[in-house]
Amino acid sequence: MKGIIEIDNLVRRFGDFTAVDKVSISIEKGQIFGILGPNGAGKTTTINMILGLLEPTSGSITVNGLNVSKHPNEVKQMTGLMTQETIVDSELTAAQNLEIAARLYHLSSDERESAIKEALKEAELTDFADAKAGSLSGGMKRRLYLVKTMIQKPDILILDEPTTGLDVQNRVQMWDHIRALQQRGITIVLTTQYLEEADQLCNRIAVIDHGKVVATGTPTELKRLVSSGRVMEVITSLEEAQKVADFLKKKFKLDIKVLGEKLECFLEKDPVDTFGKVLDGLVKAKMPIISISMHLPTMDDVFIKLTGSSMRDAVGTQVSDRSNIMLKR
Amino acid sequence: MPLLNDTYALFKREMLIFRSNLRTNIIRSMIFPLVLILFFGNLGSTTYGVNVAIVNYANNPQSHSFINALSSQRTLSIVGITSQTNALSMLQKESIDAAIIILPSFPAASGGAPSVDVYYSDSDAQAVSAILPFIQTQAQEYGGSVGAHINTPTSSLSDPPSSPASLIPLYGTNSNYKVFLVGGIIAMVAAFGTVFGGGISIITDRQLGNLKSFLLAPINKLSIIMSKILSGTLQSMLYVMVAIAIGLLDGATIAMGPLGLLWILLIAGMISLGFSGVTTILASRINKVEVYSIVANVIVLPMWFLSGAFFPASSLPSFMRPLSTYNPMTYATQAVRDVMILGYFPANAILIDMSALLAFLVFGIVASVLLFKTHID
Repeated sequence: MKGIIEIDNLVRRFGDFTAVDKVSISIEKGQIFGILGPNGAGKTTTINMILGLLEPTSGSITVNGLNVSKHPNEVKQMTGLMTQETIVDSELTAAQNLEIAARLYHLSSDERESAIKEALKEAELTDFADAKAGSLSGGMKRRLYLVKTMIQKPDILILDEPTTGLDVQNRVQMWDHIRALQQRGITIVLTTQYLEEADQLCNRIAVIDHGKVVATGTPTELKRLVSSGRVMEVITSLEEAQKVADFLKKKFKLDIKVLGEKLECFLEKDPVDTFGKVLDGLVKAKMPIISISMHLPTMDDVFIKLTGSSMRDAVGTQVSDRSNIMLKR
Repeated sequence: MPLLNDTYALFKREMLIFRSNLRTNIIRSMIFPLVLILFFGNLGSTTYGVNVAIVNYANNPQSHSFINALSSQRTLSIVGITSQTNALSMLQKESIDAAIIILPSFPAASGGAPSVDVYYSDSDAQAVSAILPFIQTQAQEYGGSVGAHINTPTSSLSDPPSSPASLIPLYGTNSNYKVFLVGGIIAMVAAFGTVFGGGISIITDRQLGNLKSFLLAPINKLSIIMSKILSGTLQSMLYVMVAIAIGLLDGATIAMGPLGLLWILLIAGMISLGFSGVTTILASRINKVEVYSIVANVIVLPMWFLSGAFFPASSLPSFMRPLSTYNPMTYATQAVRDVMILGYFPANAILIDMSALLAFLVFGIVASVLLFKTHID
């Protein structure tokens, strides 16, 4: 089955700089699809092209079977975008904000009225319909913004780094909200630089770096891609860490990384079996162990393996593609 | 018509924002006219003194009374009583508008020959021809006559200044400075309303991401700039009405009557539309409101000063004259003054003023649309 969004060999250049380089992605209806990559990887450029804000240099994007370049307005009608910043007119009331948005999406006056009412209810702002948006609290503004971006009832919602800058509590809340939107049958495309977020939230992920897709798959598939093995983690005390590491190196020929009081290593072959032996050995040698565990590689490991650099190192070293575009404007 | 619908939606947004800050906007729009009209308008100065130098060859009691009579009215401002050479060189340097030569035969010359000559350069022809009748009247009281008038000492000889067509009364020869000033203020309020209202909103919309959210919607992109132009112009016209109201309350009058009010609004609308072009040129290139304010002031304030809003453009030094001639605000100011002071549009004036304003308006709209399009693409 063809996806609701089909990106085919997409290229976008800004002068000599290739922001997006032969990207092909297929996104199925009803999924939460994550585009994962560091700042400057080309995430925002890609979604701007999906939204029809930017013309591709070459390649094509179809949304619901419609080519974005040829039918920009039809595509715009069925997509919504929520950015990191909360974009509402603070001088206008909540209802006026929604009204203007509804007019821009060409809702008839009956549709407009019911859409505004519904949106206010969903954002729990019915009592604040006539309050100026500027006087609302941060959370209320954010909710108003979300319903405003969805006033036209889009099939596809694109979230550009929806949780960047949020604290943990708000991030988890946002995740719940995104899942609830998925329940309503909305296809969600989100960009993120957080591996954990992509892991927790997305059905499928495309990892992009330097404008290229380096891997696509479900979070588990991507993790498997790194290694069929597991990551073992041993926590001991700061003083004893080196002693334990030396013991494991000698006895089991393991490549141990010492990270303070934490020891980490990849168990490539027969991880379960090896883990049992290691545990046994440690207990017998009466090593001072606080905890020992084994898990699948994290998205961080995936990213390091795929791009050759840690995600966190890459963050902030490049100018964001978003600010590139802003500069162009 | 999707374009009209989209423009209306965005226009409505602009006006809702305007309304939500209504009190601030009105107060802000009142400060400028209030200060200028109430303060400067009531200084009690007359509008216009034609600067003259007098050469008195007669040097008799009659000639002295004649000079007194000339200086008693504010129409003339007598720079000095000097020698003929001196007066003519002042005239050439344009530090005076005219030289009045009282011939030795004053008051009565033999054989009906003139006993007073008035020299002036052609660039001041209009100004001086306006005061000729006054000099004539004064001279006649002393039995003298003003000379076949007049020669131009500059190399380029002008039309015979006595031709009736050149007898255009200058503003201020019979009006007070307040009405003169109000005309200038109106042109400036219209220009500032557009440049600061519309331009800043283009920049903040871009900064806050509103522009992007408009572009996300399936609208005709042209509607974004159309709504800015229209709302900016409408706001300017509201400010103009405030300025007129302040002027009228302070005692200024509109010679053309209620119809004049419509003319003033039309003129204000045209100059606002023209300035929307200046606004878009600047706002699409400048990303900070602070920088925009400075640049806009640097452009608009000199345009205003050189338009003759404060003082007649004809009193500018000659090298600055072109800045006034090619300044659209000059024509707006002039046209508003025709409405307020004269009460009619003199023969060719309306054609010149209106075509200058129309050209500026077309420039404004075309520049806005083209620039804004490249700006968002």
